[in-house]
Amino acid sequence: MTDVNSEEYEDVWVFVEEHDGEVMGVSWELLEEAKSLAEETGEDLVALVIGHDVHDVAERAVSRGADRVLVADDEVFEPYRADPYGEQFRAMVEARKPSIVLIGGTHTGRDFAGRVAVPSHAGLTADCTEIDVDDDGVLQARRPAFGGNVLATIICEEHRPQMATIRPGVFESAPAEPDREGQIEHVDVVVDEADTLTEVLERNTNETVDITEADRIVAAGGGVDGDLAPIRRLADALDAEVAASRRAVDEGWIEGSRQVGQTGKTVRPELYVAVGISGAVQHLEGMNDSDVVVAINNDPNAPIFEHADYGIVGDLFEVCPALAEALEETDTPEVTP
Amino acid sequence: MTDHPTIVVGIKQVPDDDEVSIDPDTGRLDRSSAPAVLNRPDRNALEAALGIRDEVGGRVVAMTMGPPPAAEVLEVAVAMGCDDGVLVSDVAFGGSDTWPTSLTLARTVEYLDGDIVVCGEETTDSSTGQVPPGIAAHLGWAQLTYVEELEPLPETGQLAARRDVEGGYERVIADLPVVVAVAFGENHPRPAGLHRKIYAETEFEPVTLDADDLGIDENTVGLAASPTQVGGMDTIEGVERERVTVGTVDELIDELAGTEVLP
Ligand SMILES: Cc1cc2nc3c(=O)[nH]c(=O)nc-3n(C[C@H](O)[C@H](O)[C@H](O)COP(=O)(O)OP(=O)(O)OC[C@H]3O[C@@H](n4cnc5c(N)ncnc54)[C@H](O)[C@@H]3O)c2cc1C
Repeated sequence: MTDVNSEEYEDVWVFVEEHDGEVMGVSWELLEEAKSLAEETGEDLVALVIGHDVHDVAERAVSRGADRVLVADDEVFEPYRADPYGEQFRAMVEARKPSIVLIGGTHTGRDFAGRVAVPSHAGLTADCTEIDVDDDGVLQARRPAFGGNVLATIICEEHRPQMATIRPGVFESAPAEPDREGQIEHVDVVVDEADTLTEVLERNTNETVDITEADRIVAAGGGVDGDLAPIRRLADALDAEVAASRRAVDEGWIEGSRQVGQTGKTVRPELYVAVGISGAVQHLEGMNDSDVVVAINNDPNAPIFEHADYGIVGDLFEVCPALAEALEETDTPEVTP
Repeated sequence: MTDHPTIVVGIKQVPDDDEVSIDPDTGRLDRSSAPAVLNRPDRNALEAALGIRDEVGGRVVAMTMGPPPAAEVLEVAVAMGCDDGVLVSDVAFGGSDTWPTSLTLARTVEYLDGDIVVCGEETTDSSTGQVPPGIAAHLGWAQLTYVEELEPLPETGQLAARRDVEGGYERVIADLPVVVAVAFGENHPRPAGLHRKIYAETEFEPVTLDADDLGIDENTVGLAASPTQVGGMDTIEGVERERVTVGTVDELIDELAGTEVLP
């Protein structure tokens, strides 16, 4: 039904998401994962940088493994907006015909990816957690489906490029090798401020905490009932970051950047303490990569116990302070007067 | 803003998340046993759309795409206060991925002469979040996704929004026409009014549109026109956990000491 000649399409593209010079961690995760795809297909790994005054970002993309970097540099791209990003990206895709295009599954990535895929009639798979290519260079994009019960493999045989947004936090980040060499090419900017459909009045991201980097996490759920004191105290005693279930975020007790789960972050700490969290599939999806999971819940039948290494059935308002106190004691070196 | 905007709300019937089971023999999903419900994030979309009408007037029309029984969710929408409901249904649409789905919904919006489209953040059965931006792309309209708050600006014919972004928020103004995707759980959906409920159940008849009505070439929709296909499904093996229940905090610390995860 289509007349796409997939032979004309080559290279693996990775979109490097930056805001005001700050690169989103998922970009380096994708670059690392895409290296093996490019090796597999024998093609180039190409990073795409869109923004203003982003030469430095392009150089960092080379140091993280890109063979080539395509840069679209213009004021119109800062701050991010779906319509100029989508249009610029689409023009680049149509002119240069990449085989595979990977974009971080952030709100930004998921916002504009469709504005590239729709006009290009490309296949776009959302929020993947595993990627691979088969012998014919067909991308195998895997994503949890139906509330995380199954892993669906999505393929795109007859359309190009094969696009996917990828969930942040599931892959290791590409290390920086300052001496690496690569080619940086500036491309024509095809969008004009006069044609944009939106205007950003304010962008406020000061409260960012990156829970995906934490070694230890204490996560609060519906059970805390608005009182985070026991959570914070336990987190302090464990030298851990505070995170939350969607319920705790929706209730406004904790900021959304700390949400773990399908619509939140994927975390991979050594220790994950789930406090007053029932263990809904959408939450489990985000915490399954943790090394050791501890559950504190007063309902012995809460599903979270099935997904925990160690569980304590009890009231969190008693268990958390007791645990914190015991840890504080072991922490303090004994001082004899 | 046009004086009386037509606000189209995209809603979907989905299997109730908690009730989907997997056939142990085939490994296939058994969705037939799960009751069909309105996609939960769509309630936030309906509330946002009705909220715009409360402020600037106009008409709110709910649209859904699916087989005839999917019209049930239109009743929910009308009971909440939507002025009308449209069922977009045709065997030609079967197997559509997000590309033809958003094409079909975009054509429906044109048919309805919509000025604003409001959708939920994503659906609980496919959770791609791609349909709202897809509709905007097919129409060439502005889009606002992950919206936490909406404010119509009737003087300038625009819509202002607070969007959720990683680690914070941004405030954006978009020109009309526009597609909005409301972040799940960001507003409090109003309950159905008793009179609307009775009306929805007894008198309301949805308008039904097929590919022909929408001027859609059948070759551009459905499974064959979908760029992506499902290549396979694997049951996710749950992560194996120790599942040790301890009685006291000291026991827990002893156990954890053995795993070397304590600071
Ligand atoms: C499309 C979609 C996406 C979603 N994405 C996410 C996501 O990314 N992340 C996420 O977390 N959820 C997500 N959810 C929501 C998810 O389905 C659950 O509703 C949510 O995880 C429930 O949060 P909770 O377990 O903290 O709260 P609750 O369900 O309210 O559970 C509270 C728990 O605390 C226990 N408890 C109560 N009091 C005490 C006490 N004093 N001491 C000890 N224990 C106590 C209770 O026994 C219970 O187990 C999503 C849902 C949908 C539909």
